[in-house]
Amino acid sequence: MSKRVLVVDDDPDVRLFNTTVLEENGYTPLEATNGEEGLEIIRKELPDLVILDVMMPKQSGIRLYRELKTDKALKDIPVIILSGIAEKTFLRSQNALTEFGGEQVPPPQTYIEKPVEPDELASVVKKALG
Amino acid sequence: MMNKLLLIDDEPDILKVLSMSLRADGYQVHTALSGAEGLEIFETEHPQIVLTDIRMPGMDGIEVLKRIKDASENTEVIIITGHGDLDLAIEALQNGASDFINKPVRGLSLEIALKRAEEKLEIREKLAAYTQNLEKEVRLATRELLRKSNFLSRLIRSSNDGIVATDRDFTVIVFNPGAERIFGRTAEDVINRVRIDAIFPGEIAGIFMNAGTHLEGAEVVGWRETTIQNVDGSPIPVGFSGALLMEETQVMGSVAFFQDLREIKRLEKELLHSERLAAIGQTVAGLTHGIKNVLHGFKGGSYLVDLGIGKGDSEKLTSGWDMVKRNIARTSDLVMDLLTYSKEREPEFEDCQPNAIAADVAETVKDTAEENGVAVVTDFDPGIGTVRMDPHIIHPSLLNLMTNAIDACIFDEDTSKQWQVRLRTVLEDDRVILLEVSDNGTGMTDEVRDKLFASFFSTKGHRGTGLGMLVTQKLIEEHNGTIDVSTQPGKGSTFSVRLPFEVAGNDM
Repeated sequence: MSKRVLVVDDDPDVRLFNTTVLEENGYTPLEATNGEEGLEIIRKELPDLVILDVMMPKQSGIRLYRELKTDKALKDIPVIILSGIAEKTFLRSQNALTEFGGEQVPPPQTYIEKPVEPDELASVVKKALG
Repeated sequence: MMNKLLLIDDEPDILKVLSMSLRADGYQVHTALSGAEGLEIFETEHPQIVLTDIRMPGMDGIEVLKRIKDASENTEVIIITGHGDLDLAIEALQNGASDFINKPVRGLSLEIALKRAEEKLEIREKLAAYTQNLEKEVRLATRELLRKSNFLSRLIRSSNDGIVATDRDFTVIVFNPGAERIFGRTAEDVINRVRIDAIFPGEIAGIFMNAGTHLEGAEVVGWRETTIQNVDGSPIPVGFSGALLMEETQVMGSVAFFQDLREIKRLEKELLHSERLAAIGQTVAGLTHGIKNVLHGFKGGSYLVDLGIGKGDSEKLTSGWDMVKRNIARTSDLVMDLLTYSKEREPEFEDCQPNAIAADVAETVKDTAEENGVAVVTDFDPGIGTVRMDPHIIHPSLLNLMTNAIDACIFDEDTSKQWQVRLRTVLEDDRVILLEVSDNGTGMTDEVRDKLFASFFSTKGHRGTGLGMLVTQKLIEEHNGTIDVSTQPGKGSTFSVRLPFEVAGNDM
């Protein structure tokens, strides 16, 4: 059975792009349009990999990532962050949340800044799924 | 004070008796036996009172009287006459004698005559002192008045503000250099030549000239901003205040003060511009995020197009091409918003119909709205006809507010609502039109409301450039208008734009 990869992004263009790349490379894509919906699907479907955007309405990628990594049942699901936000900005916000009394969370498996070439996306997905 | 007295008589006995009696009364007495001798003594002693016999050999009393009066008008001359000299006595009085007494000289009549003479002297002295004092006072007052008037006219001259004062007929009588600069006319050209209605804006001249006499006291016209038409045709923004000058209940004139606001306006504009440039600079990060997303969309689109071509899959080809087109539109929105926001632009007033512009905007967004279950309702004030405004400000501002309002409904999770977006125009008064966009969508939290006009803030995720409200606000401010918002989370929002207009057909 092909591996299932969840794409969480509010931009339909990004979702279409990413899911097409995944399909072309033999994966089964799942979709969510914001963090809240993303967490719901993760809990229900337990995908093999999550490709996560950061800036989204409702729950942002920053929150979703923390919830994922602090949940025993979910923390081993690998996450690729794909965002227009620079990696250091994302890490800084995670550190700030940790200092604020949160649990220490590990950095994401892979962090890619938009825009991304289809080949590059396919190769990081492959690498993350080991 | 002891009075000096000159006694002239040709009879030595009379001289001796009289002088003794007068000295006893406290006078300082000089005596002469003839008119000529008397005049000589008069020259050196300057007595205040002269007593002279009328009939004397050589120079008679009348001649002595005339000469003394010629030399010193204020000297009192008392004539001593014999019996039957009434005609001479009258002649003496006509020539300025103060009194006459008859021979033989009796103590009482002499005393009375002297007393009268002394009283006259005293009154004359007081009068002289009083007159002198009065002259001095007048001189001092005149000098003070001159000094004050000089001070005031210098004060008026040196004021940076334009000061224009008029008489009761509203003819200009004061026009200082500040006023010359603002109006572009010389004081010479206007003072005593024109009335204020020839140089003031009609509205301001009207305030003074229509005030009438029913006002009591100095009626002050409060500070307001207006525009002066300089003779070279350039409009000068000024702060204006003024007063009717009243005397009792009568208008005696008027005064108007004009503060030149050109420099202040220029600085304000410069500040706004630099703030805007700074905002753009500071938010390059926000901009970068937007551009990265758009680029990602382009890559995705071209990837799908390539796939579609390679596999002959027309569905992928179409969706890829749609993605490219959408991102072209996003690029265009972002670039146009940035351009509008960073560019200085003077509003260009032209004859236009705000209702027609509003109808066009409503028509433009109607299809998208209805596709998403949002009704578009219009309510236009028929009192608004053709006016002078800048349509290139009205149209994009309304379009942005309408698009936002529709999005506020689309984003709303309460699907039980009948979503509605309402566009209303109201003629508020003879110079302001209200354009109101209201929706019953999501409404805004305080947090969102506070960030409404912040750059690159968007609640629309990938759909917003984060510049829309900023651009709208800038356009409205350039039109000297205002934008207000009232909102309630879950209930909806109302945006009220107030724009000033000019009467149509006033091409200058």
